Amino acid sequence: MYKKVTQEIIEKLEKVVGQKNLTHDREKMEDYSHDEFSLKDIAKFPELVVKPEKTEEVAEILRLANTEMVPVTPRGGATGLTGGCVPLYGGIVLSLENMNRILEVDLDNQMAVVEAGVTLSEFYQAVEEAGLFFPPHPGEESAMIGGLIATNAGGARAVKYGVIRNYIRGLEVVLPTGSVIHLGGKLMKSSTGYNLLNLIIGSEGTLGVVTQATIQLMPSPRVMRSLIIPYDELEKAIETVPLLIRKRILPLAVEFVPKDVIQITEEFLKKRWPCTQGSTYLLIILDASSEDEIDRLSEEVAETCMEKGALDVYVADSPKKQEEVLDIRSKIYEAIKSHTLEVLDISIPRAEIARHVKKVQEVSQKYKIWLPTFGHAADGNVHTHIMSARFEGGKIVSLPEEEWKTKFEKVREELYKDCRNRRGVISGEHGIGIVKKSYLSYVLDEETIELMKGIKRHFDPQNILNPGKIFD
Amino acid sequence: MNICVFVKRVPDTEAKIRIDHETNSISEEGINFILSPYDEVAVEEALRLREANGGTVTVVSVGNEEALTTLKKCLAMGADEAVLVKDETPETYDGLRTAKILARAVEKRFPDYSLLLFGKQSVGADNAQIPAMVADLLNLPQVNVVTKLEIDGNKGIAHREIEGALEKVSFSLPAVVSAQKGLNEPRYETLKGIMAAKKKEIPIVTFEDLGLKEEEVTPLLEITKLESPPQRQAGKIIEDEPEEAAKQMVKFLHEEAKII
Repeated sequence: MYKKVTQEIIEKLEKVVGQKNLTHDREKMEDYSHDEFSLKDIAKFPELVVKPEKTEEVAEILRLANTEMVPVTPRGGATGLTGGCVPLYGGIVLSLENMNRILEVDLDNQMAVVEAGVTLSEFYQAVEEAGLFFPPHPGEESAMIGGLIATNAGGARAVKYGVIRNYIRGLEVVLPTGSVIHLGGKLMKSSTGYNLLNLIIGSEGTLGVVTQATIQLMPSPRVMRSLIIPYDELEKAIETVPLLIRKRILPLAVEFVPKDVIQITEEFLKKRWPCTQGSTYLLIILDASSEDEIDRLSEEVAETCMEKGALDVYVADSPKKQEEVLDIRSKIYEAIKSHTLEVLDISIPRAEIARHVKKVQEVSQKYKIWLPTFGHAADGNVHTHIMSARFEGGKIVSLPEEEWKTKFEKVREELYKDCRNRRGVISGEHGIGIVKKSYLSYVLDEETIELMKGIKRHFDPQNILNPGKIFD
Repeated sequence: MNICVFVKRVPDTEAKIRIDHETNSISEEGINFILSPYDEVAVEEALRLREANGGTVTVVSVGNEEALTTLKKCLAMGADEAVLVKDETPETYDGLRTAKILARAVEKRFPDYSLLLFGKQSVGADNAQIPAMVADLLNLPQVNVVTKLEIDGNKGIAHREIEGALEKVSFSLPAVVSAQKGLNEPRYETLKGIMAAKKKEIPIVTFEDLGLKEEEVTPLLEITKLESPPQRQAGKIIEDEPEEAAKQMVKFLHEEAKII
C-alpha cells in the first residue's frame, strides 16, 4: 500500500532541506537502518534519509509523504533498544540531528527550550553551565531529547525525581498531515482541555514528530554521595529496598547489580569497582542540601542495609569517584552486548521485585541460559538480559544459534507471564518499538489497545508516520 | 613501623580553573577540592604497609583549616591520626618554604618515623619539589616517582619506571619515598571509616609550636602574574572524497604544519 520514494519525491525534498541534508547513498544509509537493539535481523534500510534544520521543513516533508503515501520514520540519537527508529517499511528516515539548538535556558522560569536533536550530554552541559539541574539520567548520553520524549525515558534517578514525562512542560509537534501544533508551555499548571502533551510523550513517534520541547529544570542538589553496598545474597539486597522506603528514605537512585556483570564490565572498561566482596551490590545514590544531612542519611541507609545482612558500606564522595562507579553501572550493556539477545524492561510494583527476580533465576536454571538481571531496585524497573550464552566459572560460554533461538522465545514468554501476574507492564522506559509489540496484549486490555489504535488513526489516517511500531 | 604521609588539598582535577587577577591566585568559588590524587596513592601505600607490618600511619598537611576535610578523608581511609600544621598564608608556590615547614614538623613531632611518604607531586602547582627538598633538609635517602615498594625490616626496595627500563633502588630506612600512580589503587572509604573519622580530633600545630620564626616562613617566591594558557585553536577538518581529502591533508602537513 505504501509507495516507493521516486526521483520526483527526492527532487522535491531536495528543495526543502537542501542537497547536503539528504542522502540515498546506500553506504551512508547503513547507520540509519538500525538502533542499539542487538539482533541485526530487525535492521531495515530506508530509501531516503532527510535531515531538516527547521520545523517548517519537517512539516513540508510530512505533508509530501502524506500526499505521496510514503512512510516516514523519525529518528533521534538511535540509542533505543526496541527498534523504534528502524524504518520497517523503508521510505524516509527523518533524522532530527540537525535540529540541535538550545534555544533558551530561562532562569526566571527554570525551564529550557530546546530542539529535538539536542543530545542529552549537550543538554546536561548547558543546564549545568546555567547552574541548574536536570534530574533524569536515562543512561546513554548520545540520546536525543526527541527520542527521550518519544520513549518517555526514565533511568536510575526516577525513584526520587520521576521520568522524562515529569519534566516536559511544552512541545512543538508536527502532525503526520504536516500541521504544526503547540502543546503546553512554560506552565506549571494547566487544566485546559485534554492533555495531549502527555499523549505525545511516550507515543514513540507514531502520532507526530516532536521538534521542540520546553523542559522543567531544578536547582542543583548541594551534595551527592554514592554508597556501594555488597551482599552475599541477591534477595537480601533487594529486600533492603522496601525497608528504606518504609523508613521514608528517598534516595536519588537505588540500583542492584550482580557481581558477575560488574566483573565483566570492569574488565571491559579497565576500571575498578570499589569492592570485591559479596556476590551482589546495591548502588545507592543520595543527595542532600548539606554535608551533615548527607551523613545522617548515609548512616540511616547503612544501618538498614547492615540489618539486612550487608557486608559493608563503601562510599564514593568525590565527583570523579561517583562518576567512575556510575560509569561502570551505565556501561554494563555495552560490555555484555555482543552476547545479549534482548534487554527486557519489565516494570512491576517495586515490592514485587524480589519475587520476580527469583522467578528469573528459576527460568535461567530451567533453560540453562544466562539471564543477568539488574536495574532500578526502588522503582520496580528490572532489566533482565536474555543472553545467547551460559555463564560458567566466571566465563561467558556461547550457545549455538539453534539452541538459543528456541530458548529465547520460551524465556521471554515465561518472564512476561510473570510480569503480568504481578500486574506489571512489559516496558518501563524503553518503549515497545518493534521487538516488544507481540507481547503488548499480555499486559493491556484488548479495549485499551483498540482505543490506542483509534487515536493513531485519528492523528495519522494514512498510517504514514512510524508505521508498525507499538502495534500493527 | 611508623609512617608519616604528607598530603595537600587541591582543586578537583575535573574543576574548571578560573584566575582571580586581583590576588594573582586561583578563584576558589564553586570549585570542589579533593585530596591530591598522588597523595591518595601515598596514603593507600602507607595503609597497606601498616596492614602488613604493623605500626601507625600519621597524615600531615600544611594549610588553613579547610585542609581538615582532606585530613578527615585520610582518617576515613584508615589513617591512625592526622595533624594540621596551620598556615594562613595563601598558596605561595614556594616549595622550599613548605619543605622547611614539613622538615621541622618531622624533627619536632615525629622523630621516630621510619618512612616519610609523599605523592610525587601535587596536582595544581605540579612542581614535584617537596619530597626531594624534605629529604635533603633531613639528610635522608630518597626515592621518587615509585611504582612498587617493598619494605623488609630496615631496608626497602623501590621500583621506578625510567626511559625504556625499570630501575630498582634499594635504600635504608628512614627514608623519603614519593608515590607515582600505579603504585596501588586507593581504596574507597567505608561509611564506618567516615563516621569514625568524624569523631577523631585533629590536632592543630602552629608555626610557633614548631619553633619556626617568621623569617623562616617568609615566602621567597613572588607571583607577579598568573595567566591561563592560550586557548588551543580548533583543529582543521577536511571534508571531501577520501582521495581528494588525503591529498589536501598531505599538502597541509607539508606546507602549513611543516611536519612532513
